[in-house]
Amino acid sequence: MSAQIIRGIFDVLSLSSILILLVIGMAIIVGMMKVFNMCQGELVLLGAVTGYLCGIYLGNLWIGILLAPIVVGLFGLVLERTIIHRFYINPQGALLATFAIGLVMRETLRNRMSRQGTPVDAPIQGSIDIGGASLPVWRIVIMVVTLLLALAIGYVLLKTNLGIKVRATLDNPDLVSVSGISTKWMYAGTYAFGSALSGFAGAMIVPLQTLYPNLGYDNLILMFIAVMIGGLGQFAGPLAGAALIAVPGAIIGQFISPVTGQILILFLAIIFMRFRPGGIFQRGR
Amino acid sequence: MSEIKKVRFRRSAAIATSLAAVLVLAACTSGGSDTAASADNAEPVKVGVLTDMTGAFGIVGKSNEAVAKFTINEINANGGVLGRQLEMVLADSATDAAIATQVASRLVNQDKVAVVVGGVASFTRVAVRDVIADKGNTIYIWPASYEGGECSTNVWNTGSAPNQQVDPTVEHLLAEGNKTFFLAGSDYLYPRNILARVRQVVEAGGGSIVGEEYVPLDMTDPSNLVSKVLAAKADVLFEVVVLPGTAPFIKGVVDGGYKGKIAGTLFDEGINPLIGAQAEGLIGVQDFYLSVEDPFTKSQVAKFNEQHPEAAGLFSATFNATAWYRSFYLWKAAVEKANSFDTAEVNKAMDSVSLKDSIGGPVSFEPGTKHVNLQMYLGESKADGSNVILKSLGSIKPLECK
Repeated sequence: MSAQIIRGIFDVLSLSSILILLVIGMAIIVGMMKVFNMCQGELVLLGAVTGYLCGIYLGNLWIGILLAPIVVGLFGLVLERTIIHRFYINPQGALLATFAIGLVMRETLRNRMSRQGTPVDAPIQGSIDIGGASLPVWRIVIMVVTLLLALAIGYVLLKTNLGIKVRATLDNPDLVSVSGISTKWMYAGTYAFGSALSGFAGAMIVPLQTLYPNLGYDNLILMFIAVMIGGLGQFAGPLAGAALIAVPGAIIGQFISPVTGQILILFLAIIFMRFRPGGIFQRGR
Repeated sequence: MSEIKKVRFRRSAAIATSLAAVLVLAACTSGGSDTAASADNAEPVKVGVLTDMTGAFGIVGKSNEAVAKFTINEINANGGVLGRQLEMVLADSATDAAIATQVASRLVNQDKVAVVVGGVASFTRVAVRDVIADKGNTIYIWPASYEGGECSTNVWNTGSAPNQQVDPTVEHLLAEGNKTFFLAGSDYLYPRNILARVRQVVEAGGGSIVGEEYVPLDMTDPSNLVSKVLAAKADVLFEVVVLPGTAPFIKGVVDGGYKGKIAGTLFDEGINPLIGAQAEGLIGVQDFYLSVEDPFTKSQVAKFNEQHPEAAGLFSATFNATAWYRSFYLWKAAVEKANSFDTAEVNKAMDSVSLKDSIGGPVSFEPGTKHVNLQMYLGESKADGSNVILKSLGSIKPLECK
């Protein structure tokens, strides 16, 4: 195989795994909890900031990658208990409230930064040579981690007792609460978990980009489209949705201009939504 | 007579007694250089400073604000303009064309500023231009390197035009023996116009373009473009991929094993630190680098960093710092030459004013072009983000508005 083809395949895998990694947290909060969480991008950003700060002050991005989900998870917990939980009965309100939270986080960071962005070095630098194409190691790490993470979370949600409780709570909170489970803490915990995953994604992808205030926000639309295509009310759908926009996007991008490619993908997404409004795994009809 | 002057005149007539005292004072502070003008206009002149303090270009706004303060304070400390102190009126255009129009209108109609300096991106210029220069009949100075073509009445450009940056860069690369060029940019007016100029100069000089690609402005991961650049194997990659795409794009190309030269219009101390070690070897032309040896430039930059620690490290050509600095001084020179703040008079004078000293080197308006002759430098970036000057190119004429 020529180096060019290897690079092409690598780009497809890399771009898809990055989008899936970004969407995992959102799959929990928007996909399963159905909270239209406009500050999801800023949860990614907060993870990236945590990673960056650990890189600067502890000299090690690995610690940042481990700390980011904890920091952002706790932040999500506080956010849910103070603000988000008030809006479960008012989705439009949640949209505005979370947008405002995101705006405050983004602009606060912008105000604190001394330049337009900061490069963050990956903990594993360099690239490996396969068939004449040199492939960055960190992108390979992201592919593997994304795959393992998606499988692990899928397993927890579908096969474990905790997963059943979570899904039951989101499905029918009244029935669950009479069964003696605290739905309040189930909701808070799930939101915190979704936040933690976004924080982790932020710390993982920041070396591929630069740390800048719109890091999460710039990906938000694509993440939302992935969730919409995947369908609400489940975990796997949004991940499949992410793959469904990233794979053709990356393939098309190799043959035509990226600008036309992006327009085409959004156009196809609209058509898809018209015929399968419930998402990929839509039941009935 | 302008509206401002009429108002001032009536008021000063009403307080004739205090005017006598003011007259003496003003004459003293201004060194008695222009007693008539000082007497008539003892109050400060308002100067509009319009930049993006918030939103995506907030960091550039931080730099612009500091440079404006620095320059205006310096002018005031040396006696102001025609004996009058300048009063800076800051307006935040918030990286948003609609907001820019509102604040520009406020500067012109409520604050009645004598001049507006400002704008970071061209969409802001286009949004505020008519409000300030046309409907507002106020001088508008656009202090940014940009895609060229701004020739409206009452509008003056103090940043570099495409030919001033592109021509010497491409000519240098061709002279080094590079033949094939790949052009890559973000998909909007600035990169497209810059790269159109690159194509023109490359083809005129016997080189060839082997590829031209644009990415959407909001694309955060330009992997596809990186692969195309690597596949093309051109001698030169001329790139105008703007933030936030710059760093991932250049890192991707360098780490992917690209062997040729990388050139662009946006490499300097302001942008390079974002790219990291992969900035090593980037080629470009600017009207200023921190390594410019001119003594006036060196002492001014040192003074700036001392007075504005909050913006230290933000004094760079790509943040338009040099263009902002000379904007106020060019306007001052035109007002003094016209001996009036009147828009029509200042316009007439502006066409040929020059500054013997400015940060980066001497500067002058090239008559009939509304753009400035600039000292340009060919620079190469180092891994730490600094730039070495390969060649001082002397003064280059803007090829605009002809």
